[in-house]
Amino acid sequence: MKTPTLLFNVVDDNTLWNNLKEGDEKSFSMLFERYYADLVRYGNSLSPFEEKVQDCIQDVFTDIWIYRNTLQNSVVVKAYLLSSVRKRIARLHERDHIFRKTASTDSIAFLLEFSVDHELLEEADDDAKEKLIHLNKLLNDLPGRQKEAIYLRYHQGLNVEQIAEMLNVNYQSASNLLHRGLMTLRREWKGSFSLLLLLSATSF
Amino acid sequence: MQKRNTYTQIEDFLSDESFQSWVLLKIDQDGWEEWTLENRHRAKLVQDARHLLLAMKVPESNLSKLDIQKALQNTWRKIEEKENQILFSKNAGTKFFKNYFLTGIAASLFFCLLSIWYYENHFPSDNVVTYKELIAENSEGLVEQTNNSNNPQIITLSDGSSVLLQPNSKLSYPKIFTGNERKVYLSGEGFFEISKNPKKPFFVYANEIVTKVVGTSFRVKAFSDQPDVEVLVRTGKVKVKSNDLVTKSNQEEVVLLPNQALRFVRNDLKFNKITNITQDKELRESVGNIEQLSFEFSDIPVSQIFETIEQAYQVKIDYPKNKLKDCHLTTSLSDQPLPEKLKIVCKSISAETNFEMNGNQVIITSQGCN
Repeated sequence: MKTPTLLFNVVDDNTLWNNLKEGDEKSFSMLFERYYADLVRYGNSLSPFEEKVQDCIQDVFTDIWIYRNTLQNSVVVKAYLLSSVRKRIARLHERDHIFRKTASTDSIAFLLEFSVDHELLEEADDDAKEKLIHLNKLLNDLPGRQKEAIYLRYHQGLNVEQIAEMLNVNYQSASNLLHRGLMTLRREWKGSFSLLLLLSATSF
Repeated sequence: MQKRNTYTQIEDFLSDESFQSWVLLKIDQDGWEEWTLENRHRAKLVQDARHLLLAMKVPESNLSKLDIQKALQNTWRKIEEKENQILFSKNAGTKFFKNYFLTGIAASLFFCLLSIWYYENHFPSDNVVTYKELIAENSEGLVEQTNNSNNPQIITLSDGSSVLLQPNSKLSYPKIFTGNERKVYLSGEGFFEISKNPKKPFFVYANEIVTKVVGTSFRVKAFSDQPDVEVLVRTGKVKVKSNDLVTKSNQEEVVLLPNQALRFVRNDLKFNKITNITQDKELRESVGNIEQLSFEFSDIPVSQIFETIEQAYQVKIDYPKNKLKDCHLTTSLSDQPLPEKLKIVCKSISAETNFEMNGNQVIITSQGCN
């Protein structure tokens, strides 16, 4: 999971953003290269039509360049991009007959399935593996919006406020989304974990 | 990094970028390994967080660097398309006033080009040289003759050359040719028969073109309200080039031989040489009397020769019919201007035979042939 968030950016987003606003094509291209793949991945979790997703993302960047004069100065670039992509895809859903089944903007489903990173699991024992698989199932069983909130929080590094804005809910609701998700997780997890502990204790 | 000492929830760790990079990228910048081992309770929390993170893996991007570059190029193309769209859409200005300036420049440029194009195509007066301008160029005292009648008029020049001026045409010429050149100015159509004089080339200025000859016969058709200028050669050799006043044109010279013609397209200053005049419908239909008549006479009564000349030059020839009724001549008058033709005919009749020209009137005095 090499999200750009984890990389150390040479030039920070805001500098690039401000240069872009001044009409610097290079900064625009740098931001594009920095976030494109990530946005595609996020977009793909909202729509099964990969080509349309890329189209939407390119349209987002197109508008950023064309309307660069009217862009705000202080934005969290990543949050802005993610949010724009989400809106764009939602709009596409509304418009496109392929998506007619989904009625409103809010109901676009978060389709992403979390997977288990076995390679990084240092513990070689089956218990740990089983635990991960179980956790993973719990995560994927969460309602879409809770999943999306978790994804945005922990994978894209957005704060609760930004998530609230993106998902078009107030701060408390966003916080609840995140919390409820993890609460469920913890509750379930604790149950099985204590079992795990018990099992592991008997093995000693 | 002392913040982490206050972490009590798994969530606290999950959103910590440094923690994420330690778990997922194995970059332990902040000594998580050591810090975890400091406290047993802490170790438990860290492990849970780590496991959760590992169970939350998202699929890696399958986009290559090349894919991203392609997408970027595609985006620039989209930008260009959209910018063009905006530029030409009517409500462009209301949407982004800041682009007004550029849009304005582009628009005015567009209209500039449009008007230039329109001007070039519809008002070609820029390249057009009018008869008036030509006359103004010449400082010598010029005589102007206008033919407002319905019949061609004959003009005899001081050097013995003759010009058959067609209706609605004008010719300006000096009373006496001085200097090393003979220059006349034509508006309309004229048939020129130039007396040979290699030392004094003869120039016909007509609209944008200049026709240069030494001695020959040719027709120039240059009406100011017509799109083409035509030169048609009957005898001798003629050189045609564009007038220096037409700055844009190249100075190429077109050489015309008998029965060759040239059509000059005034709009784009192009010479079109026509090597076979019988295949050009326009030229074939406009051939005048004089060009159709043959001036090759073999044992022909003088009266008939005079009649041919009368017909060709639209002149009236007075001659003592009785005295010349038995005179026959064999002669070639094709390459001669009118005065020359008359002179040849007269001298062929007898040494004492003379002629006098007075406008369209020719009076021949003779005592009969030898």
